[in-house]
Amino acid sequence: MHIDVRGELVRDPWFVTGMGLVLLLGLLVLLGPMLAPHDPHDMSFQPLSPPSAVHWLGVNDGGMDIFSELLYGMRNTVGFGLLTGIVALFLGVTVGLGASWFGGLLDQIMMRLADILLAIPAIMILIFTAALFRPSPVMLALILAIMSWPTTAKAIRSQALVVKNRLHIQASRQMGASACYIISRHLVPELFPLYLIGFATKARMAMFMEASLAFLGLFDPSRKSLGLMIGYALKYYYLNVWWNWIMPPVFLLTLLIMAVTFLAVSLEKVFDPRLKEAW
Amino acid sequence: MKVFSRKYGRVSAYILAALIMIYLSYSLPGFLPGDFVTAMYSSSHVTLTADQEAQIRAFYTQREGFIRYLVNLVTLNWGYSYAFLTPISDLILQALPWTLLLVGGAHMISMVFGFIAGVELAWRRGSYCEKIGVGSMTIMEGVPEIGSGVILLLIFALYLGWLPASGAETAYARHSAGEWAWDVVCHLTLPLSTLILAYFPGNFLLTRGSMVMVLKEQFVQTARAKGLPALRVRYVHAARNVLLPMATRFGLRIAFMVTGALVVETIYSYPGLGTLLFNAIGMRDLPLIQGIVLISSLMVLLVNLALDYIYGWIDPRVKHAY
Repeated sequence: MHIDVRGELVRDPWFVTGMGLVLLLGLLVLLGPMLAPHDPHDMSFQPLSPPSAVHWLGVNDGGMDIFSELLYGMRNTVGFGLLTGIVALFLGVTVGLGASWFGGLLDQIMMRLADILLAIPAIMILIFTAALFRPSPVMLALILAIMSWPTTAKAIRSQALVVKNRLHIQASRQMGASACYIISRHLVPELFPLYLIGFATKARMAMFMEASLAFLGLFDPSRKSLGLMIGYALKYYYLNVWWNWIMPPVFLLTLLIMAVTFLAVSLEKVFDPRLKEAW
Repeated sequence: MKVFSRKYGRVSAYILAALIMIYLSYSLPGFLPGDFVTAMYSSSHVTLTADQEAQIRAFYTQREGFIRYLVNLVTLNWGYSYAFLTPISDLILQALPWTLLLVGGAHMISMVFGFIAGVELAWRRGSYCEKIGVGSMTIMEGVPEIGSGVILLLIFALYLGWLPASGAETAYARHSAGEWAWDVVCHLTLPLSTLILAYFPGNFLLTRGSMVMVLKEQFVQTARAKGLPALRVRYVHAARNVLLPMATRFGLRIAFMVTGALVVETIYSYPGLGTLLFNAIGMRDLPLIQGIVLISSLMVLLVNLALDYIYGWIDPRVKHAY
């Protein structure tokens, strides 16, 4: 890639803000268990007590420390997002590259399958399986990943079709390089920006889904989650708890999604030369 | 031959998707470990005698064939809700108009105004106004519906008390038609604004981005050189080219936008499908969940199918491409 991508990213305010937020939140996620002053499942405190030196954000209706809940809940939300993002990306890259390289019937079948999956609302399948079988969050993340690879696969396929016919790839074919070599040494690295963009959008969507599902009460109620906290806290809106109980999870969730969105916007802008003119 | 294969290829993808959804909703409950009865009563406080349990199980485990299921689906015979003890079709048909009003209205408004704002700001490219608009909309793009919904609820309904916090109309109030309409509008404002806040930035950013590209094309220069009024150049010549990417994006994202609508309805207890689903989940009312999931998925598929026809209408080139 002949443009100075790194320099351009560093100069982009969206990227810098997004990266800063991601680092900050990542630190919170990694250090969560150490930072949390209490066990989030410990229900032995005075319910609904206001914030104090011991409980920085007070205690919820079940007698659990809200600040510790927040840290653990964020870990679950981020973990769900990362898992879905990675699996969906892996599936998308495999199918996209496979379809573009082999073409023909495989390509046709895969793209029809993608069309079908794109048209089905993933949330509905998730809700249905969650309501019926109460699967573990990991299982739900995998289902979501299986439902959401098509957009990435389509983007990668169309770009791979362009790259496939470039001169240097034709040259290496000419010299007898195997399909495996060309895919792993040329196609995979050259499509790298697409992976980042695909991963960011998928992770963003998955974190939003996780929060929504938890908010709707589809996860195990003892599993800490930002969405679940918002759902519980809203039931006590008539108490004066909006700033220490309702707003913190809302704020954290918004920051999380905002950080990933900024990164996605900035990456798309820098790596898509057509879009760059528009900015 | 090629003419048909792609067009029908896409339509058949939708039909297949619909069949898959229907089949999943038909077959998945059969994979339940145990059955509906275990699922409903295992975690409840009601203890059944062996006799009662056998009776209930016999009632709930009668399985119909898939064809029968399809026929029942078409004839609105969707069975009974376990929790409300009313036909599921009644519950869904009661909730549906509110959801359509809310979600449809939000899409309409955010599309029309997002389109106009995008076109206008692309025209004024580089101005102060444009930079602020793009910046603030990119930030808004990062705010999930849960966030904006809860914040609007706290500010306007609970703190300021200007607008009602829940419901779609004041219960048990006797209104004249005019008062009733105003009441509905008041209740609609907050959920509608939340959804518009979620949909508007995407529409705006996409329109602006595509419009900037279109404005560089030569036919725009020609139109301006002919001395056409700026408004005409902007909308009649340039902006119509932006409609296609907008429709494409809408089709790609509608399946995921369902989530946001669900959450917003639940936050404001708006009596649409989302709140009905939320209540059904809370009461473990599986047939009702099944019905809502199926009907809303089929509706999303229908919108996608309709969009495919709209593409051809927006841009005749698409029709020829098939």
